Amino acid sequence: MLFFSFFKTLVDHEVTVELKNEISLRGTLKSVDQYLNIKLDDVSVVEDVRWPHLSSTRNMFIRGSVVRYVHLPAAAVDTALLEDATRREAASAAAKAKQG
Amino acid sequence: MADIDDGPSTSVSEPLDLVRLCLDEVVFVKLRGDRELKGRLHAYDSHCNMVLGDVEETIYITEEDEEEQEITRTVKKQSEMLFVRGDSVVLISPQAPS
Amino acid sequence: MSFFGFDTSLPRDRGHQTKAPGFGAVPDAFAGLSSRRTVDDDDDDAIDFEDTYDGLGDRLDETDDAFNDDTFGSEPASQQNVGKDFDFAGQTSKIANTLQEEHMLFQARQPPPRMEPARQAARPARTGYENYAKTDYIPQLEASANIWGIQPKHHIQPQQTQQSQQIQHQPHQRQESQGTSATPARKMMSLEEVEAMMRAQSKKPGPPAQAPQPAQAPPVPPHPQHQMPPQQHVHYPSQQGPPTGPPQILQRPQQQTAPRSSPASRPQGHAELPGHAVQPPSIPQHPTILQRQRPAPSEPVAQTQRHPPAQAAGQRPPSQPRQILQNPNRLSGQGQPISQAAQRQAEYQRALPVGPGHNRGPSLQGPVVTHPEQLLNLTEEERAAFLIEDAKRAKRNHKIHMLSKDNGLMTPQDKNFITRIQLQQLMAATGGLEEHGPEAALAEDFYYQVYTQIRGAPRQTPHQPTSQFAQTYIFQTGGRYGVGGRKHQRGGDNHMQRMEQQVQRAVEAAKAKPKGKQLVIEGSLGKISFSNAKTPKPLLNIKRPESTDGFHATARRPSRVHLHDSSVFDRKGTLRNIERVYSTLMLMEDHERLMPPPLHADSDPATIQRHLEWQTKIQGLHEQLWQDLKIMEPINPNSLTPHPFIAMLSHPKGKKAIPRIFRQIDEQQRITILTMIVVHLDALSVVAHAVPTPDEPNLSRATREEVELFSHAVMPPLFAHISESPLNIVIGLLGLILDRTNLQVVARSKIGMSLLTMLISRAELLKQSTPEINIVDWEQWTQLYNRLFDSVEPVLPFVFPGSVNDGDDVYVWQFLAAMGVGASPEQQQRLVLGVKDRVMETVAVSKALPAEIASVRLGHVNLFMRAIGLDVELLG
Repeated sequence: MLFFSFFKTLVDHEVTVELKNEISLRGTLKSVDQYLNIKLDDVSVVEDVRWPHLSSTRNMFIRGSVVRYVHLPAAAVDTALLEDATRREAASAAAKAKQG
Repeated sequence: MADIDDGPSTSVSEPLDLVRLCLDEVVFVKLRGDRELKGRLHAYDSHCNMVLGDVEETIYITEEDEEEQEITRTVKKQSEMLFVRGDSVVLISPQAPS
Repeated sequence: MSFFGFDTSLPRDRGHQTKAPGFGAVPDAFAGLSSRRTVDDDDDDAIDFEDTYDGLGDRLDETDDAFNDDTFGSEPASQQNVGKDFDFAGQTSKIANTLQEEHMLFQARQPPPRMEPARQAARPARTGYENYAKTDYIPQLEASANIWGIQPKHHIQPQQTQQSQQIQHQPHQRQESQGTSATPARKMMSLEEVEAMMRAQSKKPGPPAQAPQPAQAPPVPPHPQHQMPPQQHVHYPSQQGPPTGPPQILQRPQQQTAPRSSPASRPQGHAELPGHAVQPPSIPQHPTILQRQRPAPSEPVAQTQRHPPAQAAGQRPPSQPRQILQNPNRLSGQGQPISQAAQRQAEYQRALPVGPGHNRGPSLQGPVVTHPEQLLNLTEEERAAFLIEDAKRAKRNHKIHMLSKDNGLMTPQDKNFITRIQLQQLMAATGGLEEHGPEAALAEDFYYQVYTQIRGAPRQTPHQPTSQFAQTYIFQTGGRYGVGGRKHQRGGDNHMQRMEQQVQRAVEAAKAKPKGKQLVIEGSLGKISFSNAKTPKPLLNIKRPESTDGFHATARRPSRVHLHDSSVFDRKGTLRNIERVYSTLMLMEDHERLMPPPLHADSDPATIQRHLEWQTKIQGLHEQLWQDLKIMEPINPNSLTPHPFIAMLSHPKGKKAIPRIFRQIDEQQRITILTMIVVHLDALSVVAHAVPTPDEPNLSRATREEVELFSHAVMPPLFAHISESPLNIVIGLLGLILDRTNLQVVARSKIGMSLLTMLISRAELLKQSTPEINIVDWEQWTQLYNRLFDSVEPVLPFVFPGSVNDGDDVYVWQFLAAMGVGASPEQQQRLVLGVKDRVMETVAVSKALPAEIASVRLGHVNLFMRAIGLDVELLG
């Protein structure tokens, strides 16, 4: 749930989603779910010359599994907090593993 | 120094515990599709999803020139903050700052 | 199919169901009939038979889905068919009322259909039945009756319509349940007879479907009853009059009777009817019919018919039994769990047909359906039609039986129980977070919750603990700096500004008081004395290493050299140490939030207890943290690797941990950390690596970031501590630096120089503000100062970073100013000489810069110039 929690803080921020098929989509992150499926608004294709068929799509739902990267605005990330959140996640995962 | 292994909280019992040591450190990440990343690790989870800061991505592209010889060229890209989906990750390695 | 399934359920079930609304969905047309019958017709066994016939007719209708819809729904065509069936039942019941078997039946049957509706309306308010009342429905009924007509026994006399209806019912019974006789028997036979029947039947191998049927049957009754009556009324309005006919009549009459003659029975039926009325009666009827028919297979319909007449008087009771069947209580009362063997159920079914016939007879559909004789009266065409329909129904019934095998396996309670379990599981799966309270939810969503708190983003769900969490982190971030070289460092120069202020204060103070030391000044005395009292011991700690300084100072350098080469193992070990520190820190921070309310004089023992426990735990964590820091690891001057604590500071996250650590530790421990850092000052990566060399006048970006981070993360807490330290501490720290570190390295790094500036300026402030000065201390201080001056003077030209154009040299001017304040006139001269070039260059450069920047640069220079009584202006 760490990254779900993380992405929720990035809603309404401008991000660039790079898919595994090389397509990069720049848009406003509208929502995200626990599978890290992504909904983008005001989408523009980064290389619209290369992918003209997408240029008319203004908003889209992207299945999480096809995502390779999401480029984020660094200013919107509290890295110290994020690292602590990661430590917590790791600790709870370890605790669960022990219980299991 | 001798008691590195004591204490339950950080004893290395799982591979991902090693990754935890690299939090806020520069790491090297190898990805599917002949890609490599170098950046500061800010977050990860059990799926190897990651957030890296100040990332340099290196893509190795193999092409054939006119003489049908394979030429590998590299493309480098920078990103200030990058989420990497775990299913692309091949390996994560600590990278001493250069 | 569900309806069918319910019908198939055991007779007992039916009884239960009848009362239970849910089961009622499968209402038994027969049941309704029976109830009515019971009231009026005790005499008419024949009536019972007729009733059974009616039930059969209903079943027939049900066999066709379309029919079901018709009966239940508003669709006219199908309804018509059903209506006829029902009408038959109604007629029979009416007939039953009359107690005159055949005559009544015939008469009633012919005229009644149309008449009945009105009557029905009058008695029970049944929605769906109205349709049946219509004449149109009757014709269809007749047609079905023809089909059934195959086995007309008793009912020959009735008019064609009546006959057909009866016949229909009969065939249903026979076809559907081979043991049709049983059904009639039910109504007709007395309880004793019924029992006998049941036994006999039980012995006989009942059809597989039987078992299921019984279960279904019970549920059916309710509806059937409701529906049945209406139908009967519709068809046999004329019959309403007391029972005209014999057995056949009896059957119908019973139904009728129930409503009319026996108010008690009627009410039940009616009450149920309204609710159930909506549901298709026909469907339920089928199952019931099947059960009855099959169970009785051995006994011919004729028998059933016969019995009824004989027991006609007993018919009333039968009707009641039916009701019982319908009633859920029955199930419970009988206590025949689903688990009971199919045989048992079969027995019951059979028994029901027979015994029920008598006892519960009224409700029994058997009689209605059963008159095969009627069939005889039918025309060939009608018979053929009946046969076809019968075949269809038989098929359907069989299907129903197959499907309903397990009907009634679970009691409503069982189902309830299972439902609860499932709900619980659902809750456990989805609502787990809530179960563990907001704390768990927070843990899952930690980043978002805290982030939104800190950054003021819209918050959806204000959790109390969240805010506490956030507070913890806001505290930390207050002391935070942007993260590792990130661009958004807020308030990054905070400590620099504070240091500048301190230096400036020192300068101002120095100006105000000419050199001589005056004890007069009163200002922040209280504070100083405070810190004095607070920290007597640290001094000892500090001085101890001091005594052995000479040796260590020389030995230290090698370790510094090897810093870079720290092996992978050391690196990993260090990282592990740091993560351990973080783990403990987070535990402590979490634990902080759990602090119980403050204690009062009148606090109850429980609160005190909680406080004690809390204290104990925080104490443990505190010790754990101190251990994790490795601060008490022995200092090994000859070690090739840096001290573990110092090694931590070479990692960004190690630096970032310092402010959080300082929040958790006490004064004593802070001094210890400060001491440790000072002792290893030239071993710090941010010092050792941050000395510009001729080859690399400018530091690498990574190093600059490290230095930046260190000055934002580590320096502030150190500075905060030093700025409140008494003179002896300052003396001790400076002594350590002089004795144990390579001052030339320290002085040429930003961090080292900043630390020196802190110490010197603090001492100056103390010197000028402390009324009672310990002369010994001051002599010691002066001595150290002179040593420092002498050590630094040679490197003065090299302490400036980069070129003049860089401008990032404030800290140097601060240092120079701090030095200048305490310097003797002679030392001041040497200072000026040492940095003269830089001063001049800066002034020159400033002229070419925009006014704002120029003034800033000159202001920095003036820090120093004013400290020694000069001003940049003078250089004009």
